Amino acid sequence: MHEITVALSLLEGVQTTAAEQGIERVSAVHVRLGALTGVVRDALLFSWDVATSQTVAEGSQLCIEEIPLVVFCESCDAERAPRPGYGLLCPECGTPSPRILRGREMLLVAMEVAA
Amino acid sequence: MKTSVVEIASNLMVKNDALAAKLRDRFAERGTLVVNILSSPGSGKTTLLEETLSRLSRKYSVGALVGDQATANDAERLSRSGVPVHQITTAAECRLDADMITKALEQWEQQRFDALFIENVGNLICPAEYDLGEDLRVVLFSVTEGEDKPLKYPLAFNTSHVVVVTKIDLAQAVGYVRSLAQQNVYAANPGISILELSARTGAGMDEWIDLIDGRIRAKALAPTH
Repeated sequence: MHEITVALSLLEGVQTTAAEQGIERVSAVHVRLGALTGVVRDALLFSWDVATSQTVAEGSQLCIEEIPLVVFCESCDAERAPRPGYGLLCPECGTPSPRILRGREMLLVAMEVAA
Repeated sequence: MKTSVVEIASNLMVKNDALAAKLRDRFAERGTLVVNILSSPGSGKTTLLEETLSRLSRKYSVGALVGDQATANDAERLSRSGVPVHQITTAAECRLDADMITKALEQWEQQRFDALFIENVGNLICPAEYDLGEDLRVVLFSVTEGEDKPLKYPLAFNTSHVVVVTKIDLAQAVGYVRSLAQQNVYAANPGISILELSARTGAGMDEWIDLIDGRIRAKALAPTH
C-alpha cells in the first residue's frame, strides 16, 4: 500500500551512499522485506522504476529478499512460521506466539555498482 | 560488465523512529497523553472520537489530529466537539508518520494538551509500522467486520495496548461471537485489554473514558525524565 514511499526511502539511502562514495551509476539494489510489512512485491518493483527515473539508480534492478514471518513458540520452545491468515498462532500446537523474531524487516542491504 | 557490491545495511524505519523518540520526549515534558487510534475504514474511529472528545473536554484540555488520504470531513465532524482539531491529508500515503505529526504540531506550539488523540488513516497494515511517539496504541474493530480481523492483521494487534470492539449494539444482529473474537485477539497479543462499546448508544463508554482518564492523570504525574 505504501510501496512508493518505501521505494523513495530506499532511493534516498542509495543516493546518500552513492554521493558519499562518488558512485555515478547503480546497477542493482538489494533489499530485505518482512512478510508482516505488507509491502507488495510487484507494486514495489513498479514503484522502483518510477522513483528511480533520472537518478543514479535509473534502470537498476531491485532484488527483493522476502523474509517469512517467524515467531517463538513457548510451548514448543522453538521457532515457528505461522501459516498466513492464522495470525501469530504456532502452526504445530496452536499456541499464541506474540514474540515476533522475523518478518518485520525493511532493510536496504546493499547495492551493486559497475566496477 | 564487472560489478562490485557496496554494503549499506540501513533500516528504513530509522528516520521515523528517531522522530518518534523526539515526539515522545516532547510529550513527556508537557505531560501530554498521546493516543494513536488504528482501524480499518468504517470501524467507527471518528464516532468514538467525537464522543470521547466531547466527554473529556469537560475536564481536560484535549486535541485531535486526524489523518485521511482525502477530504477534511472527519476533522469537520470532530470540530463540533469544540476542541482543537487538525486534519492531516496524506494523499498517497496510507498512514501517518512521525514527520507528519511533528509538522502538524507546529501550529499548537503554545498549546498544552492533557491528551492528544491521533486518528490514523483507516488501514491496519501500514500504520502498525509507524511509531508516532504515542503512549497508548488503540486498535478498533467493529462487530460487523468479522471476528478473524486480528488473524488477518496480526501486527496491528500485536503492537497495540488496548483493543476496542465497536458497534457492540449490533452484535446480536450480525451474530458476533465474543469468545472467538477474544481468542483471535489473544492469538496476536495475549492478555491485552479488550473493551466493548457503542459510541452511539453509550454502552461501554464509561469504561473507555475511565481508562483514558486514568492514563491522563498518570501521565500528568509522571516525572518528566
